[in-house]
Amino acid sequence: MVAIVLVGLVVSCLGGALAYFAPALALAYRATGRTAAVSLPHPAGRASSAATATTVGDRAFTVLLLGSDDDQKFANANGSKTIVTQSMILVRVDPVTRRAVMLSIPRDLWIQLPNGAYGKADQASEFGGPPGATAAVEQAFDIKIDAWVWVGLTGLIRLIDYMGGVDVVTSQPVMDDYYPADVDSKDPYAYERVAVLPGPQHLNGHDALQYVRSRHGDLQGDFGRSERQQQVLMALKAKARYIKPEDLPNLASTFNGELQTSMSLTQIRGLLPLAQAFDNPDQIQHLVLLPPYTTSRTIDGQDALVGNWSLILPLVHQYFGYA
Amino acid sequence: MTRRLSAGRIAILVVLLLADALTGFEVYRYLGAHTAARLFQPQKPTDPGQQHHSGPIAELPGTLYLASEGAIYRLRHGDFGLVLPAGGWTQPAVTPDGRSLIVVKRQFAFSDLYLVSSGGQIQAQLTNDASKRYEFNDWAFYPRVTPDGGTLFFDWDRPKDLQATYNVTLKVWSMPLGNPNAPRRWTTPVAYTGGDVQPLPLSPTELIYTRYFRDQQGNVHSELWLTSRPDLTGLLPGHALTAPEDDCSQAALSPDGKRLAMICTHGGQTTSLEVASFDGTALGPPLTLVGTMQAAEPAWAPDGSGLVFLAPGNLAGDFQLFWVRVPVGPPSGATTPSGPARARPGPSPSPPPAPVQLTTNLDFDATSPIAWHA
Repeated sequence: MVAIVLVGLVVSCLGGALAYFAPALALAYRATGRTAAVSLPHPAGRASSAATATTVGDRAFTVLLLGSDDDQKFANANGSKTIVTQSMILVRVDPVTRRAVMLSIPRDLWIQLPNGAYGKADQASEFGGPPGATAAVEQAFDIKIDAWVWVGLTGLIRLIDYMGGVDVVTSQPVMDDYYPADVDSKDPYAYERVAVLPGPQHLNGHDALQYVRSRHGDLQGDFGRSERQQQVLMALKAKARYIKPEDLPNLASTFNGELQTSMSLTQIRGLLPLAQAFDNPDQIQHLVLLPPYTTSRTIDGQDALVGNWSLILPLVHQYFGYA
Repeated sequence: MTRRLSAGRIAILVVLLLADALTGFEVYRYLGAHTAARLFQPQKPTDPGQQHHSGPIAELPGTLYLASEGAIYRLRHGDFGLVLPAGGWTQPAVTPDGRSLIVVKRQFAFSDLYLVSSGGQIQAQLTNDASKRYEFNDWAFYPRVTPDGGTLFFDWDRPKDLQATYNVTLKVWSMPLGNPNAPRRWTTPVAYTGGDVQPLPLSPTELIYTRYFRDQQGNVHSELWLTSRPDLTGLLPGHALTAPEDDCSQAALSPDGKRLAMICTHGGQTTSLEVASFDGTALGPPLTLVGTMQAAEPAWAPDGSGLVFLAPGNLAGDFQLFWVRVPVGPPSGATTPSGPARARPGPSPSPPPAPVQLTTNLDFDATSPIAWHA
């Protein structure tokens, strides 16, 4: 009789826990391990190694962070949506030395796309999604990317709000009269006026997105925005140390399709202790491809950035290794 | 072989099943109650349990006005009271007689300045920044009244740059407090920097403000700038009080006018609260009162004995109210002829007093200066 009671209690405890973590498990199943090989029609074309990543966390590894909206303005003629990655950040993490490097890839950088044509880096994901963007970046920079993570804009807002906001020191007033109001508005081409005031402050998800996304009022344009994106990423990382396993179901419903990664659950689990180890901002180096690494040009009627690859590649290989 | 269950056994079985179900539910509830997110929920200053505070906060003299989540609160002897309910209100400035406040009301695409009684009655709208044409909406921020109470300094994004509509910058303006129809522009900011902000009028004709500009490498810096002449051409009259690499902002002048508190980042992602002597034209060597706390918006006590400021003070990172005593006789080294040569902050002879956290679970607006009246 006692045994039956004990077994019943254990089963009910497990049942309660299972019911609680079910949303997180469902998200984990849907969002992780998204592997799809994309080959580039390049003489040395190869499949994206991120598609076949095996281990992440026991050696130095590279992750491509992708951020974008996925609203209807990017719908194809057939109605299916494509993704333009407005934010592309390469992160190299060395678990042994406990140092990391973040390199922002300018969205306008002119590179070869997965369809063989040349275009802006942010268009690479139109051809195969995040794996396509990963393959294009691997080829352009001649590096190996172990995994990619994609977060949608609304996912970023919800994540920051769930974590109670982030603390950043905004370096200057960020003023933008033509900021895209495509998150809350029904009109994907609507504008809104943005004024993020300078100084230390606590930003909610909406304001943080404005801070990292606005670029019109910044003389450095996308470069200035890249620095702000890295800044908010660091602030998010600082908050992440408070997240507990009990938060996972809520985080799962928070993302609701706004998060995808090529990493498996096992790989993610291996990364969690590593994330805790990076508690000093000085452990993370930030790189932005300002001139002379890039030069502004008009190509095919588009404002683009042409890479000075003789300067870029040595820099990238110094921090990210070779393919 | 079947065996009929007695009523007693059925009752026990039902009880066990109920107990199991209850246990499962309690496990679910327990897990849900232990998320980190629950720790990230701030309270309002007037929520039950937050209205009255004892201890150091109750010893602050006079009345402080602070903004939190679009509302303005007064703090007097440890008691919080609501001045203006949530509605986009921020950046209160108090008039020298303490009877009125100038407050920013921020809305979707514009903001306006309002004259409000210290009790929260709206007396006048001082700017009219809403426009039916989207691009002609305006921002007004950072109101500050001159010591004589006659002139209001503030930030405006007028005039618009019609040649380069992406270049939106704030400029410092002034206007007689009794005549909002006579505004006067004081600064011409560097393009694509966000502009000139945080005016601190020393008199109707003398002004300290935070100026943003770019160095030769294109990096943005801030510096405190002192001027006595309006600048409509970009000739930039006046001089810097701080060096570009110090990245200082948010100046606050002591009641006796002899010390200046400021927030500096020194090019990094953390801030320090520094105080320097001020002789009317230049700053002395600064003393770092508070470092690496993300301190913001210092405001002097009416008797000049110390400063309140805002800094993250809980797990969520919400900005709380802090107090720090300013040592009597701050560093008095020789003042530099002009700001850019200002000495770097160095170790003080004795460690500065430790800051005291006055609130723990509120959420003050860290871009809203604190107004403090005796």
